[in-house]
Amino acid sequence: MSELKLQHLDKIYDNKVQAVFDFNLDVKDGELIVLVGPSGCGKSTTLRMVAGLEDISAGKLIIDGQDVTAKPPKDRDIAMVFQDYALYGHMTIYENMAFSLMLRKENVNVVHQKVMAAAEILGLTDQLNKKPNQLSGGQRQRVAMGRAIVRTPKVFLFDEPLSNLDAKLRGSTRREILLLHKRLKATMLYVTHDQTEALTLADRIVCMSMGHVQQIGTPLELYYTPANLFVASFIGLPPINTFDAVIRNGQAVGSEFSIALTSEEAELLAGYENKTVVLGVRPEDVIQGGEISVNVFSNENLGQTTLVNGVVGKQKITCKFREWCSYKPGDTVNVSFKRKHFFDKETTRAIR
Amino acid sequence: MTLNDDALIKKDRLRFTRNKLSANLTLLAIVFNAIYFVSIYTSDVGNYYYSIIIGASVVYNLLFMLVAFLASEGVKGYKMMYAYALLVLGAGQIIRIFILPTDARNATVQLEMHEQIVMGNAQFIWVCALLIASAVFCIIAGIVGIIKTSTLVSYQAELEKEQKGAAHE
Repeated sequence: MSELKLQHLDKIYDNKVQAVFDFNLDVKDGELIVLVGPSGCGKSTTLRMVAGLEDISAGKLIIDGQDVTAKPPKDRDIAMVFQDYALYGHMTIYENMAFSLMLRKENVNVVHQKVMAAAEILGLTDQLNKKPNQLSGGQRQRVAMGRAIVRTPKVFLFDEPLSNLDAKLRGSTRREILLLHKRLKATMLYVTHDQTEALTLADRIVCMSMGHVQQIGTPLELYYTPANLFVASFIGLPPINTFDAVIRNGQAVGSEFSIALTSEEAELLAGYENKTVVLGVRPEDVIQGGEISVNVFSNENLGQTTLVNGVVGKQKITCKFREWCSYKPGDTVNVSFKRKHFFDKETTRAIR
Repeated sequence: MTLNDDALIKKDRLRFTRNKLSANLTLLAIVFNAIYFVSIYTSDVGNYYYSIIIGASVVYNLLFMLVAFLASEGVKGYKMMYAYALLVLGAGQIIRIFILPTDARNATVQLEMHEQIVMGNAQFIWVCALLIASAVFCIIAGIVGIIKTSTLVSYQAELEKEQKGAAHE
């Protein structure tokens, strides 16, 4: 069992800059939590506080029911995988993986068994006598993971582990991490700014902005029911299209369009009659055929899908059509919106 | 092959760990040899040492340190040839006791009209102890090297045989 509780965590640096505000999270045993957000949102700082590499200014960190807030990193039983691997260049892969256990003065035969088991899981058995500079980026990252695995820690921390890899390798290593999580059933905290990683890996995602938690939920929840405009625009690629619209007589009226609301939507927006709300529509929810005219200015074929960028009046829109399209700049395409999200114009919170 | 008994694990470890014991013992042998080299000429005995022997001694010391250092790296990587070289170097250190120190101990020189012993008993025991220590470390390093290297070689052959057997099946 290894549960992790972050209770009201704050991080205030010496220069009074606050990087993390009132962070609360309960991580269940064996859960993979992904902290996602733009650069500078406080996700890495939060991870470093859990690791003990940053002091916690306020709040409590509890691992397995034990308050470890004031404990040094070595006493927290946590393993961290860094973005730049942090391998020892003069040691072989075997020695790199065994190093932390040797420091703990564990029995050499036990160390050997653990290293061999981790190497087999990660497919590194043939590389054990090599030095890190003889391995590819993906293999080095696996070594870094192996070094964490051999310690059998209570919690694994990953700080943007795939950022140094090229796109192809990132995809395959991501799948390996997922398989590893399923195999080890370990509690993991994973930081990334890449929403694809977040959506594919996470049991739950913590979306952060400016040091504040914006939403905690499953990938599906964040995608389909974003808590606010920030989450809606951060999760999803290409980002969600947004339009200002006035709610009037069961319709959402924009500058160049008017959309009839469903009865459910009308009920939801009953309190917003004659008020302006933000209408959000994901590119994949824009479908061909309808009453809204889009003036096309670019057409990007991606194989199975086509991204059509254009304008509705003066507002930009991106449409993701599930077919090969060949629109030319200046063409007009009529569209409609399948699934709509509504946000309060002032608070930016989702209207539910 | 499953790693479930200690003897097997010990053998398997050899594939990924270096023979640091032999290497470090060899470095110790070099250190004792260096101390011997600076200790032997400490007594002021006029020009007794100024002979062809001193040149040979200097050259041998340099050669010993070079070969021993190479051997320390060699045995670290389980190279059998260097393990044997260490045995030869160890034997050489023992033989050296009977050349310069023994000669010097028995020799006398005329200094300021007085007959003087070149090397006193205390110095003789000290330099002999240094050479013996250097020899012992070389020989132990060599023996450990031979045992570990032959164990590794036979284990690897065993593994290869198993792999071939598995491939045939």
